[in-house]
Amino acid sequence: MSTTLALLLLTCSPDGPITIEFGRDVQPILAKHCFVCHGPDQGTRKARLRLDLPSIVGEEQGILVPGQPLSSEFINRITHASADDRMPPAEESVLTPEEIKTLTLWVKEGAQYQRHWSFEAIEAPTLPPSGAWARNEIDRFVLAELAAENIEPSPEVNRATLIRRLSFDLCGMPPTPDEVTAFVSDESPGAYEDLVDRLLATDAYAERMTLAWMDAARYGDTSVHHADGPRDMWPWRDWVLRAYRENMPFNQFTVEQLAGDLLPEPTTEQLVASGFHRNSPTSDEGGAIDEELRVKYMVDRVKTTSNVWVGLSMECAQCHDHKYDPVTQKDYYRFFAFFNQSTEMGYQTRNGNAIPLISLPTEGQKADLAALDDSIQSVAAFFKAAAPSPGAFEEWHSAEHKQLLERDTPVLGTWYSAGPFKKGTKAEAYSADHGPEAIEVDVAAKVGGLDWKERSDQDGAVHTLGSTPNAAIYLTRTIHCERAQSASISLGSDDSIRIWLNGKIIFENDTGRAAAANQDQASLELPTGESQLLMKIVNGGGPTSYYFKMGAENLPEPVLAALKAEPEGLSEKARGVLHDHFIRTVWPEGIEQVSIKEAALARKAGVEKSIGTVMVMKDVAKSRMTYILDRGQYDAPHKDQPVEPGVLEDLLPLPAGAPPTRLGLAQWLVDPDHPMTARVTVNRYWAMLFGRGLVSTVMDFGTQGARPSHPALLDWLAHDFVESGWNVKRALKQIVMSATYRQDSRADKSRREADPENVLLARAPRFRLHGEFLRDQALAVSGTLVDKMGGPGVKVYQPEGLWNAVSLNRNLRFTQDHGEKLYRKSMYIYWKRSAPQPAMATFDTPIRDTCVVQRQCTNTPMQALVTLNDVQFVEAARHLAQRLILSKKDFNARLDLGFMLCTAHPATPLAREVMLETFKAQLAVFQADKDAALALLGMGESARDESLDAAEHATWTVLASMILNLDETLTRE
Amino acid sequence: MDPIQERSRQVTRRTLLRNGANGLGAMALGSMLGKTAFGGVRDKGLPHFTPKAKRVIYLFMNGAPSQMDLFDYHPKMREIHGIELPDSIRQGQRLTTMSSGQKSFPCVAPMFKFKKYGQHQTWVSELLPHTAGIVDKISLIKSMNTEAINHDPAITYINTGSQQQGKPSMGAWLSYGLGSMNRDLPSYVVMISRGKGNFQALYSRLWGSGFLPSEHQGVKFRSGKDPVLYLSNPDGIDPATRRRMLDGIAKINEAKYEETHDAEIQARISQYEMAFRMQTSVPDLMDLSTEPDSTFELYGEDARTPGTYAANCVIARRMAERDVRFVQLFHRGWDQHGNLPRDLRGQCKDTDQASAALVIDLERRGLLEDTLVIWGGEFGRTIYSQGALTETNHGRDHHPRCFTTWMAGAGIRPGYEHGETDDFSYNIVRDPVHINDLNATILHQLGIDHDRFTYPYQGLDQRLTGVEKPRVVTELLA
Repeated sequence: MSTTLALLLLTCSPDGPITIEFGRDVQPILAKHCFVCHGPDQGTRKARLRLDLPSIVGEEQGILVPGQPLSSEFINRITHASADDRMPPAEESVLTPEEIKTLTLWVKEGAQYQRHWSFEAIEAPTLPPSGAWARNEIDRFVLAELAAENIEPSPEVNRATLIRRLSFDLCGMPPTPDEVTAFVSDESPGAYEDLVDRLLATDAYAERMTLAWMDAARYGDTSVHHADGPRDMWPWRDWVLRAYRENMPFNQFTVEQLAGDLLPEPTTEQLVASGFHRNSPTSDEGGAIDEELRVKYMVDRVKTTSNVWVGLSMECAQCHDHKYDPVTQKDYYRFFAFFNQSTEMGYQTRNGNAIPLISLPTEGQKADLAALDDSIQSVAAFFKAAAPSPGAFEEWHSAEHKQLLERDTPVLGTWYSAGPFKKGTKAEAYSADHGPEAIEVDVAAKVGGLDWKERSDQDGAVHTLGSTPNAAIYLTRTIHCERAQSASISLGSDDSIRIWLNGKIIFENDTGRAAAANQDQASLELPTGESQLLMKIVNGGGPTSYYFKMGAENLPEPVLAALKAEPEGLSEKARGVLHDHFIRTVWPEGIEQVSIKEAALARKAGVEKSIGTVMVMKDVAKSRMTYILDRGQYDAPHKDQPVEPGVLEDLLPLPAGAPPTRLGLAQWLVDPDHPMTARVTVNRYWAMLFGRGLVSTVMDFGTQGARPSHPALLDWLAHDFVESGWNVKRALKQIVMSATYRQDSRADKSRREADPENVLLARAPRFRLHGEFLRDQALAVSGTLVDKMGGPGVKVYQPEGLWNAVSLNRNLRFTQDHGEKLYRKSMYIYWKRSAPQPAMATFDTPIRDTCVVQRQCTNTPMQALVTLNDVQFVEAARHLAQRLILSKKDFNARLDLGFMLCTAHPATPLAREVMLETFKAQLAVFQADKDAALALLGMGESARDESLDAAEHATWTVLASMILNLDETLTRE
Repeated sequence: MDPIQERSRQVTRRTLLRNGANGLGAMALGSMLGKTAFGGVRDKGLPHFTPKAKRVIYLFMNGAPSQMDLFDYHPKMREIHGIELPDSIRQGQRLTTMSSGQKSFPCVAPMFKFKKYGQHQTWVSELLPHTAGIVDKISLIKSMNTEAINHDPAITYINTGSQQQGKPSMGAWLSYGLGSMNRDLPSYVVMISRGKGNFQALYSRLWGSGFLPSEHQGVKFRSGKDPVLYLSNPDGIDPATRRRMLDGIAKINEAKYEETHDAEIQARISQYEMAFRMQTSVPDLMDLSTEPDSTFELYGEDARTPGTYAANCVIARRMAERDVRFVQLFHRGWDQHGNLPRDLRGQCKDTDQASAALVIDLERRGLLEDTLVIWGGEFGRTIYSQGALTETNHGRDHHPRCFTTWMAGAGIRPGYEHGETDDFSYNIVRDPVHINDLNATILHQLGIDHDRFTYPYQGLDQRLTGVEKPRVVTELLA
C-alpha cells in the first residue's frame, strides 16, 4: 500500500451517512480517466475490464469490494507506488489526490452505482416547503437551493422592465408605449397573468418560437453544399408557425415532423410537417458519389434527432462504440436504419426542390385550375353536341380535294419523340447532345439509350410531353416536298427550343416560358425530296410543352393523305380525320372553340408552373437493408452485420405496437415514459427564458454533459409537461408566472461575485437580444415594420458582392427585394447558407447547416458596426426620428417617447442631459451642412417626410441611432 | 478570475480614456479573448511550449492545383504519356463520377517545361519562375494526402479537421487558443481573390467558428469602400459626429453599469471603441498608396489593382507587420477539369510572383522568422486526362492520394523536399503527410500540442486535428 493511500484512509470519514453520490462525484471521474479503456466501447477496451457496469462490484472479482478499499484492486491500482502499475497510465491522464480521495471514499461507503440521472425515469418529485416569496411550485424548488446556500432571492423587477422582458422572451418584440403604460397602471391582481395570456395568443409568439425551432431544424432557403442552390422549404416553416400558434401538443408536433408521411392517410399538412428532415444540407457536386452523399444526409438526421429530442450526441458511435454513453455502434446504425429508408437521392438538384416533394397549390390556384378544366371540358362537350350545317363538310371536302391536286404542298410526317434526358441544370440539358444531334435521325434505332415513340399530336395546338425538370426531349418528323421551297413555321415551347433541319441548326431560343401558339417564327428551306426535322425542347421546371404549325396552307400528313385520296371510296377512318379537321379548323364555331381550349390549356400550364412545392419525407416501398459501416465509411458496410431499425433500448424499449419505422421512432420519443424527451424539451424552454438551461449543456444530457443545477425542478417541469399533454404554452406560462422569472436582474457586486453565472437563480439574467429581435425592434419602433406572417424568404439590404464571392462560377447573384419586403420580420430573411445575411450572422444567428439548440451570445466590435452603420438600422433611426418629431412638440417629450419605445421608460435625467448636449452640437453641424443632413436622410429606400426641416430631422436621426445603440436597448433586462 | 476580465470589471471608461488607447486596447482584447458566453475553457494554458511562429499566412489555393504540372514532376512521365493508367497504379482507387464513366484513362505528361532549381536541384515548372527562385527558402511536401475526393468535403476537412460541416476553422481555433496580438484589428482575417479558371464555391463556414464562441470567426476583408462589412459611417455622418455619438452612448451605458454591475456593459463600451478604431485602422491597412514602387516591382504590377491575389499578398504582409494572428488568402480557380494547359498557366501568372514576393519581403523585414507561410490546396489532380487528350489540351480530375504543399518561415526547414510519389504522381511511395499531420505541424510551430488543444463540446474533447492521432512532421522543422 502506498503512503498516499494510507494517508487518505486516515482522512476518510468513519462509518456514517453516505457522503459520496455516484452520479455527481464518481461517474465524472470514471468517465474522464477510465472509460476510454474500461467503458462501453469494446473497440478500445483493455484487459476486458468494464468499470461502467455495476456487475463489476463484488468480493469474488476483487476489483471493487464494497466497504473495503484496501482489498479492492481498483484502489490498489490507482494508488500504486510503481508508475508502471499505476492506473491510469501517466501518459494518458493523471488522477488528482482529490479524485483519488473521492474514489476511495466511494468504495468505503459501499461502491454503489447509480444509473446516470437522465436515463432514470422521470418521477414527480416531492415539493419543497413553500415560503412567502414563492408564487408557484417552481419557486419552491429554487428557494430550497437558495436556502441551502443562504442566499436571498431578488425582489420583483419594476413593471416596465417586466413587460419589456416578457414581450421579448415570448414574442421577440418590444412592447408599445401604450402597452407599457397600461400594464404599469393596471393594479388588478390578475394584470400580469392577463399580459402573459395575451402575449401567448399573438402571432408574434408563434414567430418567436418558430425562430428557435428553425435553428434546431437547421432551416435554410438553400441546399448548403457545392452550388448552394435555392430551395423552397418555407411551407414547412409556415407549418411550424401554425403549429405554435395553435399550441399543437409537443408530442403531436414531434410525430408529424418526424413521421407525418407515415401516419394513416396523411393530410397535406402532415406531409408538409414531415419536411423537418428535408432541411438537411444536400449536395449537387458533379463528381460526388451518390451513396456517400446519401449516407451523409442520414448521418445528419441521426445527429439532429438525437440532439433535439434525446439530448445525446450519438455522433461518436458512427465510427465506434460511444466511449461514455450507452450507445454502441450497432445502436447507432439501428437508429440510422429508421432514416435509411428515404427515397431521396444523394446527388440532388441545385435548382429548387428535390424529390420526394408535394405540390402546394394555393386556394386561388386551385380555383383557377378548376375553372380552366371546366372550360376545357365545355369545349369537349361542345364538339360532342354541335355539328356544322348539313352539306357544309361535303362541299368543303370536294373543293379542297380539287385544289390540293393542283398544288404542291410539303407533306408532314408523323411526330416521334424521345426523352426526357435529364441533367443537373437546364443549361446543361440544353447544351448537351443527348444522342441525335450530330447523327442522321433514325426513328427505328435507339437514341441515347431510349426508343423513339410515335405521337399522334396534331399541329397547331400546345402539346405537353412530360414534366421532368432540367431535361431535354427531342421531337422529329419527316417533311416531303415535290419541289424545293421555303416554308414558314410558327412555334411555341416550354422552355427552350432548338431546331435542326437535315442536321443543321436553323433556329434556337434559350428561354423560360409556358408554351403558347406563335411565340417564335422560323423559316424552313426545304429541298426536293425528304427532309428530317429535329426539335429539342428543354424544360427547367413545370410541364415540357411545344407548339408547331407550318404556314397556313400546310396540313398535317393524315389530313393531306385523306384529302389527296379520291372522295369516293374514302375509308371511314380517313373521312373521320377529315371531318375532325374540318370541324376544328374550318368551321367558324369550331375554330372559336379550339382557340378557347388552347388558351385554357396554355393558362393551365402557366398556373401549374407557378404552383409551389415543398420537400417531404417518403420511404422506399421495400425496406432498404442497413449495415454497420466500418469506421462510418459509406463504402465499407459490414455485410455480415445487417441491422434492423431500433431505438436506444437502454433508455426505453419501443412502445408496444409501435411500428419499426420513423413513426415508431417518433412514438418512442414522445412515450410518456421516455426519460429524455420531456426533460430535454423543458430545459430548452428554460434556457430560452433564462439564457442558461437547468442543464447548461442543452444538447448533451449524457454522462459527459453538465448535471442539472436543480434536478428536482427539472423533473417537476418535465413531469408536468407530459401530464399536461405536452402543452407548450402551459409550460412556458408556468415558468414566466414564477417569482423566479420575475426577479430583478440588477444585483450588487457581492451577489454577482458569489454566483457569477447565476446558477442558483437569485436574480434574473440580463443578456443581449438576438440579432433578429434587434432588427425587428428597430423596425417596430420606427413604425416601418411590415407585420405579415409566413411566405417565402425576403432578401433585405446587405452589402454587395457577398454571394458572388462564394458562388460557383458566378452562377448565383443576390438580387435585393424592394418595398414591403425590406421591412418584414427578420425570421423571414432569405437564409443562404453559404453566405448568410451578414447583419444577422454577426449577431450569432447560426449558419443553420447543422442543428443548434442554443445560440451563442457574443459581444463584438462587428456588432457595433451593424447597429451603427447598416442601412437598415440607419433608415429605422430616421423613421424613428420622424415619428418623434411628428408625435410630440418639445424636446423632452420627443426624447421620452424615443426611450419609451426602445427601453420602456422615459429618459433618465442623465440621458436627457447627454442627449440635449448632443442635440445642440449636432443641430449646429447639420444647419451648417445641409448636404450632410440630406445625405443621412437619404439612407434607405423609403421616402422621408419632406415637410420636416432637414437639419432637425437629421439631428433627431443621430439621437435615435444613439438610443438604438444603448446597451439597455440591445439587452433584455 | 481572469485578470483581464477582473480589470474590465473595475475600470470605467473614464479611467480608460485617461490611460489612453492602451487601456482600451487591453479591455477590448479582454472581451475578445476571454469571454465565452456559454461554457468553454477559460484557462487554456497556451502556448504549451515556446512557439517558433507568432503568426500565420495561409495561401489557400482553392480548387486543387495540379501537383505534377507544378512541382511533382518525374522525367519518366514523358515515357508514360498517352498510355492507359495501369491497374497496378490505380489500385481500385475510387474516382469522382465526373471521370469514373470514362472508357479510357490516358496518362498525360505535363505540357510544360521543368528545370531543377536550388541547392537540392528541386524540379519546378516553367509556370512558377518566381517560386523557383525561392526553393531554397521553403519546405516542399510532395506527399500530402487526404480522403475526400470532392471540393466541398475536402476543403472543409483541411480547414476544420472534419469533412462534416459545423466544426471550427483553424483560424478560429488559433484566435480562441492564442488570442489577438493587436488592438485595432481582428485576430483572424480572410481575403478572397480569384483567377480566370473554373472556380469552386466557397462557404463562410470555412472561416467560421463552429462550436467555438463566434467572436473567433474569421473576419472577411474585401477590396473597395467597406473592407470590413458595415465599416463606413452612414452618409452624412462624419467622424466627429460619430465620436460625439459614442461619447454620449458611453456615458449613458456607464450609468447603466453602475446600476446593474453587469460586466457585459463595459465590454460593450470597449467594443464600440474598437469598432471606432477599426474605422481608421482597417482603411489604413488596406490603403496601398503609401507603398513605394519597389513593393510593386517585387509583387508585380497586379498588386496595384485592389482585390487581386497580388494586392492581397501585400496586405497580408502589412497585417503581419501589425501582428494579425492568422491571415488566410483564398485564391479561387484551380479546378482544371478541362483546358488545363491554358487555365493553369493563367492561375500561375496571377499568383506566382506575389507568393514568392511575400516570402522574400517577409524575410527582408525580419518577419519570416516568426511568420509561418503555407501554400497549398485541398487535394491533388490525376495523372490521367479527364476528357479527351489532344496534342495541346487535356484536363485532370480530383486526386486525394497525393498533392504538393509548401511552407516557409517560423522554424520550417528551408530548401527541403519531403516525401515522394511514384512516377505517375499517383501513389505516395515515401513519407506520407496527411492533412491532419500538416495541421498538427502548423499548431506545433505555434507552440501548441495538437493533442492537448481541445474544447469540450457535446461530451467530447474536440480537436482541430480530429480523433485519429496525427503526427507532427518533425523532418520539416529546421
